[in-house]
Amino acid sequence: MSDRASGGTADCLAGANAEEEGLSQAGASLPGAELPKKRKGDVEDTMDAPVEQGLDFLMDEDLSRSEDDQQAKMKCFRQPHRQIEKRRRDKMNNLIDELAAMIPACQPMARKLDKLTVLRKAVQHLKALKAGSGSAFAAAARKPSILPHDDLKHLLLRVADGFLLVVSCDRAKILFISESVSKILSFSRVELTGQSLFDFIHPKDISKVKEQLSASELNNHQRLIDAATGVPVQAEPPVTTSHLSTGARRSFFCRMKHSRVEGKHKDKRTLPTASVKKDSSRYCTLHCTGYMRSWPRSDPDSEADAEKDASGLTCLVTMCRVQAHASHQPPKDVKTKPTEFVTRCAIDERRPSSVISRKKFWARLVTSTSTRTTCSTWQKNTVLRSKEKLETKCYKFKTKFGPYVSLQSQWFSFTNPWTKEAEFIVSSNRVVSRGPSHAKDDEAAGSSRGPQEESKQLHIIPGLTSGVGKMMYAGSLGTQIANELIDSYRANSSPSSGVSSPFGAAQSALESPQASRSLSQQEEETGSLSESKTEAVPSISENAAGEPSQQDLDSMLVPGLSSFSSDEAAMAVIMSLLETDVNMGQAGDLDDLHWPF
Amino acid sequence: MKVDKERRRAISREAARKRRRAEADVFADLLRLLPLRASVRAQLDKPSVIRLALCYVRLKTLLRDAMFASPFFTGAAELRQNSESETEAVDETDVYLRVLEGFVMVLSSEGDMMFLSDNVGRYLGLTQTELMGHNIFEFTHPCDHEEIRSVLHFSAGEPWSDAKCDFVMRIKSTLTPRGRSTNLKSATWKVLHCQGRAATCADPFLTSCLLLTCRPLPVSHTLLCSRTFSSEHSMDMRFTHCDHRVTSILGYPPHELVGRSIYELCHTLDVVCLRKYHIDLYSKSQSVSGRYRMLARGGGYVWAESHSAAVPGPRAPKSRAGHPQPRLILSVTYVLSVEEAFLQLSLEQKMQHGYVSRG
Repeated sequence: MSDRASGGTADCLAGANAEEEGLSQAGASLPGAELPKKRKGDVEDTMDAPVEQGLDFLMDEDLSRSEDDQQAKMKCFRQPHRQIEKRRRDKMNNLIDELAAMIPACQPMARKLDKLTVLRKAVQHLKALKAGSGSAFAAAARKPSILPHDDLKHLLLRVADGFLLVVSCDRAKILFISESVSKILSFSRVELTGQSLFDFIHPKDISKVKEQLSASELNNHQRLIDAATGVPVQAEPPVTTSHLSTGARRSFFCRMKHSRVEGKHKDKRTLPTASVKKDSSRYCTLHCTGYMRSWPRSDPDSEADAEKDASGLTCLVTMCRVQAHASHQPPKDVKTKPTEFVTRCAIDERRPSSVISRKKFWARLVTSTSTRTTCSTWQKNTVLRSKEKLETKCYKFKTKFGPYVSLQSQWFSFTNPWTKEAEFIVSSNRVVSRGPSHAKDDEAAGSSRGPQEESKQLHIIPGLTSGVGKMMYAGSLGTQIANELIDSYRANSSPSSGVSSPFGAAQSALESPQASRSLSQQEEETGSLSESKTEAVPSISENAAGEPSQQDLDSMLVPGLSSFSSDEAAMAVIMSLLETDVNMGQAGDLDDLHWPF
Repeated sequence: MKVDKERRRAISREAARKRRRAEADVFADLLRLLPLRASVRAQLDKPSVIRLALCYVRLKTLLRDAMFASPFFTGAAELRQNSESETEAVDETDVYLRVLEGFVMVLSSEGDMMFLSDNVGRYLGLTQTELMGHNIFEFTHPCDHEEIRSVLHFSAGEPWSDAKCDFVMRIKSTLTPRGRSTNLKSATWKVLHCQGRAATCADPFLTSCLLLTCRPLPVSHTLLCSRTFSSEHSMDMRFTHCDHRVTSILGYPPHELVGRSIYELCHTLDVVCLRKYHIDLYSKSQSVSGRYRMLARGGGYVWAESHSAAVPGPRAPKSRAGHPQPRLILSVTYVLSVEEAFLQLSLEQKMQHGYVSRG
């Protein structure tokens, strides 16, 4: 019914349009003409306002016309037609009301004004607006548009959050830049015009921009991919007229420098992309889209030379916009707090395949190792649970590893939206508090049973540590778990390369799971480290073992094993690790680590 | 008594006629005041006139509003006095609109399209005057209404922040593939990528509006830059094929990527963003991701942005009407920058000393 009604409305409107056109063209002659039958009885006449009658009459015309059509097609259409008309009338009334709302003269009125008055006042208002904007008519004569052009420009600049940039192709001289650049890059327009563009672009992007500027020939460099078939499409040779060879479109991203005097809001926007450490100035990533344009020299005889840069001027006209980061929203707790990290574990493999931490904070290193050991087996029991739920599920557990750290995690299982299967589990872990450095072990072990997870922990722990007997040490607990896990992911042959790197000899053996097992065992034997006093030690070892740079951890093996309680091998390991760390640590900045105690 | 009735009817008819005459006059006045071309003017009916007048008034109110015009624009206001700036403004806006590859839309908080730039006809087939003043919900795909509404609420709800939005929606387009314009009833859906921000206004009836630039997502891409690569995926975002260029950018040989899901390759924190992109992709058939990070083979990650389209698979049998055809995703990924080349973030990243990803 609604479809039909809407179709009917469209018909009606189309009919009305034609009707209106006829009416407006008739103009002054209309009132004089005798109008055909008035079918007032057919029209629902709810209100007695004169406005309604006028409108109804128009409706009548349409009704009669469309009725004829309708009757040709189907009968008994008057009932829904009435609805259609009513809808049109309501729409008209709504429009009039809105207009009344917008016009200042109509607003203070207590009761509702009738249609004619509203329209008259609207006319006056528009006249006033026109008078106020001065030269609107002059421009309108050239190219009338609903908005005067400077307003449009204003609006565009506001919307697009970008600036217009015209650079010459041969030397990247900035020929024109719009004023809005000062809002985005904090340089004034005057400063930039005439400068070379390369002065303001991030050094790494210079080659990219050069490539974009220099390729004025379509055929060599450009490949059009027809997305429908994935096949490269042969590009047609550009139609080149002498005056306007608008040539190819260009679209690229580049980073532009902006001056250091910035407002706070800029930082938020550019934070993920600003390379703060490397340079003293900040860069802002811009998306530049535009096209190439060339003009021949003013000498008309040189039309043939329009293509060559030497005789003509080719330039790139682009608009550069800052990209919104709306879709890039890291979870809040990771971004704000420094002691957090995120791990991602594949569901079938119970170890994290990727660990990302936001800041360099050593405590993570310690905790992450242990928590991963403890929680990944725990996770095994709950992974089913999360699979069942198949949704973002936040449940927290506290694992207090060792005497000094307690952790809080939030897990959710990530499902592929197409297949609706769970792909992996992401956990964002946060260090809640750090206890004293010499807490008792049993306290540690005891407190590792968080309130919610008590049952699970107990469930796990007896099963694991029953064979060993060293139940009081959280470290040994970790060992057991690690052992189990080592066995379990021996089957997964993804090499933990970062682990092996300190052990130079073992690097080649990485490729085979067999070797990784022996490697891990070797580590296990030699890599045990004591907990309490050597806090620095685990961090170094993990640091060196875990990654060439100091920040992140990759695998479970070494970290898991570093929490063990035998000392003597620890020193040996540490020395070896330190040696190898020195060798390869170009990228590592150990000084950046925070040693909080 | 019948004569009486007849007389009364005649009087009322006359009165009605007079009113209509007055009304038509007023409409004509209003129409004349609108800054439109004569050819366009002739085609407008009364509701359209009111619609356009309403838009005009709203826009003027918005633009003159003190809150809308940030301090930055006071320079432009001064220039406005100068008549030369008018022509300059015309040129500049022309260039802008051309370069933008899209059109500008201003939406009120209820979804009325207060303003559309002139070139909307090029992209949608429907002209500016046909669309302006109407509600956007009449023209967009019903499944996208929810999203649009949430964007509008979001922008209206926080008037003081510079809220940006970025979304993909489907809108009716009456352009035929050959470029001609057809009837609204035979409109097809076109996917638009809309980016913009919210703007606030002091006027009580126009508290906030959304300024958007809408770009139709291109179906064919020009791979000019060496830092882009194209890839094919199955519908669950597993790679099925990859351009050879990915090797120089990310370090993975193409065959290594086949079968792996893009979610494995991306930075964990971007998983949510990619998920939304994926959902957009298979529900709207085209999408653009925001910027996300992809893990490079040798460590570290690159910032990338992908434009994709879900297309019917190569063996699309026409006989299976209504049956979902096997589809695949074609995507073009633009790599923005390389960061943290030595950072190992995942077990899958094989660290190779001496591998330096090209910047």
